[in-house]
Amino acid sequence: MDREAGLWADAWRQLRRNPLFVVPAAVIAVFTVMAVAPGLFTRTDPRACDLSRSLLRPSARHWFGYDLQGCDYYARVIHGARVSMTIGIATVAGTALVAGVLGTLAGFYGGLVDTVIARVTDVWFALPTFLGAVVVLSVLGGNGLWQLTLVLVLFGWPTMTRLMRSAVLAVRDMEYVTAARALGASDVRLMVRHVLPNALAPVIVYGAIRVGIVIAAEATLSFLGLGLQLPAISWGLMIAGAQPRLLTAPHLLLFPGLFLSLTVLAFVLLGDALRDAFDPRLR
Amino acid sequence: MGRFVVRRLVQVIPVFFGATFLVFALVYAVPGDPIDALAGDRPLAPAVRTELRHRYHLDDPLLVRYGRYLEGLAHGDFGTTFTGRPVSDIMKQRFPVTLRLGGLAFLFEAVVGLAAGVLAGLRRRSVVDSLVLVSTTVVVAIPVFVLGYCAQLLFGKQLHWFPVVGIREGWRSYFLPAVVLGALSLCYVARLTRASLVEAMRADYVRTARAKGLPERRVVGVHALRNSLIPVVTFLGVDLGSLMAGAIVTEGIFNVPGIGQATFSAIHTQEYATVVGIVTALVLVFILANLLVDLLYAVLDPRIRYR
Amino acid sequence: MAGAAAVLLLAGLTGCSSGAGAGEAPGQFSVAASEPEHLMPANATTTADGQILSALFTGLVEYDPATAEPRNAMAESIHSDDGRTWTIRIKGGWTFHNGEPVTAESFVDAWNFAAYAPNGMGNAGYFSKVEGFAALQADHPTTRAMAGLAVIDDTTFTVRLTDSFSQFPILLGFQAFYPLPKSAYGDQRAFEEAPVGNGPFRMDGRWRHDEAIRLKRFAAYKGPAAAAAAVEFRLYSQPGAGYEDLLAGSLDIATDVPPDQLAAAAAEFKSAFIERRSSAFYYLGFPLWDNTFARKELRQAISLAIDRQAIVRAIYDNTRAPAYSVINPLVPGSRPDACPLCRYDPARARRLLAAAGGWHGPLQLWFSTSAENQPALEAVANMLRTNLGITDIRFNVYDFSQFLSLVKARKVTGPFFSSWLMDYPSPHTYIAPLYTAGARTNRTGYANPAVDAHIAEGDRAPSVAAAIPAYQAAEDVILDDMPTIPLWFGKTRAVHGDHVSHVAIDPFSRIRVQDVRVTG
Repeated sequence: MDREAGLWADAWRQLRRNPLFVVPAAVIAVFTVMAVAPGLFTRTDPRACDLSRSLLRPSARHWFGYDLQGCDYYARVIHGARVSMTIGIATVAGTALVAGVLGTLAGFYGGLVDTVIARVTDVWFALPTFLGAVVVLSVLGGNGLWQLTLVLVLFGWPTMTRLMRSAVLAVRDMEYVTAARALGASDVRLMVRHVLPNALAPVIVYGAIRVGIVIAAEATLSFLGLGLQLPAISWGLMIAGAQPRLLTAPHLLLFPGLFLSLTVLAFVLLGDALRDAFDPRLR
Repeated sequence: MGRFVVRRLVQVIPVFFGATFLVFALVYAVPGDPIDALAGDRPLAPAVRTELRHRYHLDDPLLVRYGRYLEGLAHGDFGTTFTGRPVSDIMKQRFPVTLRLGGLAFLFEAVVGLAAGVLAGLRRRSVVDSLVLVSTTVVVAIPVFVLGYCAQLLFGKQLHWFPVVGIREGWRSYFLPAVVLGALSLCYVARLTRASLVEAMRADYVRTARAKGLPERRVVGVHALRNSLIPVVTFLGVDLGSLMAGAIVTEGIFNVPGIGQATFSAIHTQEYATVVGIVTALVLVFILANLLVDLLYAVLDPRIRYR
Repeated sequence: MAGAAAVLLLAGLTGCSSGAGAGEAPGQFSVAASEPEHLMPANATTTADGQILSALFTGLVEYDPATAEPRNAMAESIHSDDGRTWTIRIKGGWTFHNGEPVTAESFVDAWNFAAYAPNGMGNAGYFSKVEGFAALQADHPTTRAMAGLAVIDDTTFTVRLTDSFSQFPILLGFQAFYPLPKSAYGDQRAFEEAPVGNGPFRMDGRWRHDEAIRLKRFAAYKGPAAAAAAVEFRLYSQPGAGYEDLLAGSLDIATDVPPDQLAAAAAEFKSAFIERRSSAFYYLGFPLWDNTFARKELRQAISLAIDRQAIVRAIYDNTRAPAYSVINPLVPGSRPDACPLCRYDPARARRLLAAAGGWHGPLQLWFSTSAENQPALEAVANMLRTNLGITDIRFNVYDFSQFLSLVKARKVTGPFFSSWLMDYPSPHTYIAPLYTAGARTNRTGYANPAVDAHIAEGDRAPSVAAAIPAYQAAEDVILDDMPTIPLWFGKTRAVHGDHVSHVAIDPFSRIRVQDVRVTG
């Protein structure tokens, strides 16, 4: 157990001192608060819209101006954080669950189990991701948060599973695992107590980056008209709505685009910092 | 090597059937009646509807229709749309456009990405390195369509350097969408190249080459670079396929009439045959690309062959 | 598998650019159009189809481009004593583009062809009022000819309807009623690639899918000759692409100005920027089979809570006109003040809602993704929220085909947004198909015997004009019952360059290509 404690403690020590971890983490914390309690950032109702204020430009009193419907754009952008953060975290949690189970089974047992899982993964890889998502979303019909999460998990599990599998493979034949097995530990106990914790590092790294990817994917699907639907408030929907009037009302694109990019950037940087922290060669 | 090739080829078969059947089933599971879509708001007599359903085999069981479809595929027949047009016509018209777009994006990401990655890798911790790192990180974070709109707004509508929509101006109109399409992958290529190069430069054989007194240029150019390129080349190989599928967003923003747009409108108008045809073709491309990359990898890295 | 791979390979290798934009021959102009679905008149259901076919064919009747009034084209006379049996005499000496004479038989055969169910023609329903139609629609019809059609001689035929119908002559300009040459019945697919008609233009080459359709003047045309020698319909699939080409000088007439360039286009093109009302009618229908919407006061309240003018201005940039009637002002019989319950009045709306017992729970709005309805429906929802206090409004958005299936199958659980286009310029087309009990396109399930009685009265009137008061009476009942909330009517636009003049849009939103003159 000493080795394990060493890895995590070392990583944490390094992360704490790395500005490229601290700053993105802080940003993510801010956005998380924004998602949970938007009222802390704005008192205006994002759904109180008045057509007579349609497309008013940003001003000192209305920082982000108004959108086509005459809704306060600042309030809408703030409230949009909830959707992105929820989908990002829920999807990656779901993907990690599936990948964790399948990847561990495949890596630990090898043989037939591994081959079957590998073939299924291959089939999935052969499907053009985005087109597949488009088709599946059309089939599922309703465009709720959970349908979208399901689809995003559906198209994200192969990569994470492969990652998990290779991590498990690397750890499986280590001495302490063999020792535990010799001492009579069951397969499940081996997997859960010994193999899994040591294989987690690459998955955590990829997971952080994946949150960013998923958030961007939700926005893209909304742009294509397949993501969330009204009356949901989502950055992707807002950006999609900005398109017909790019020239005359660029602020419609600017603000949600900025927030979206910042969020994704924060997760990507976080992932990078985590990877550097866990990589022994960079010490 | 031969056994490896055969093994890989054999693996392709179930993947192909699995993927195409999955697509087929998904598309035909979409609710809604395409005959209704054809009729629109016009009154459609019930007898006519029955006749149309019969003509397009809409009432046959799924496996039968899949079988019939595969049979047609073997003859190069991708089926016909409900308005009587052969799907292969549509594909012949749309695929070249996406091919051009994807090809240009691929060239862009490969050339610029490799160059940036090599530069950054060779001059670690320099200004160039920081610049490449920062810019690739930022670009990765911006979703493709936001990037696309900004590019369209800035370079097309405000500066008028490039046409904003359509493909009427030949290669010039492909430029902006190709850059946007390739931007994300370019970042991955650059970072991957940089990371591989850095790692290669620290390897023992490089130290040995230097110790033998070889000129730096040869050390880098012949030894370090060649080995560091393996992961990059494999990434590029797989990326071509995903470029073509991923073009759907870029095509939408820049109004490029390629297969992404075609699939999209076909889904919306319930033109099953078109959707299945295009996606099947893409699956073929994916599988082929993966296969080639795997074989290439085996050629370049002998350790793989003996797994 | 080799076959599929070969197709892909060919596709990659032979991709040469679609070299359009070369200088046009004198007397020729280009106009933007959409890829048609069918160029077989009996199967042509979309506006895009109609645009091309109206240049290739001349029907019995055509419609004045300015007033929409029907006038005889190929018909010499259309007469009936009782509104039920019609004698149609056509002008002699006309031929199809291939030289075959146009006779009474050309019409009768074409109409039977359309009505015969096994042919699968989408426009079959337009012959439902002809006697003998039902026999051709049976599962295994034993005859191919409707009993009500009879050829008297080369230039005369009679039509016997199942009941008298005053509006019958007005229908006859619709593409379902075009005559067909014998070659249409053989290889239909080949016919659609290069249709042979009897109109002022003929096909020049084949239909180049998603690219262009070229027509040239038909020299032996017996009607008024086309003003230009040739026309090229450029087929665009992306909105805005045609307008870009117009600005670049490579297209003469465009019809798709993007919303954020409307003001600029109007200012730049001045009189070459043409806007006119279209026949489109946009409404919010209620699922009347659902008891939730049974109370008239509820429906009226919702109508009064919507500020149509504000939406048309802010969301549509005035590319629509608020609807204060069900009958489009394009056709005779429309009254601008027909609908007092359509004038924005939030206070009255609240009172009516209270009288109806208020609204509880979520309100489900249903609409399709086509025609960019979303922002308008958002605005409607916001108004219902602000004015009526209905805060929980959910959107159910589907592709057009799925949406239509849901509506037809009565699976919608709240107001649905839909549109309607006219087939013939008569008030009948806005009333009967949507509001007659049991009509196939009556989506709301509305059934009011008083309305049916007024419509029947109008159908049996001795003349087209005499029918109007009856149709207006029907409209009054409809506007009080509010099975549908009239929202707005459509407008179409066209912009043209200096190369052409006399560009006009007809009531069906088509460009009258036969009138367009090439200058300079």
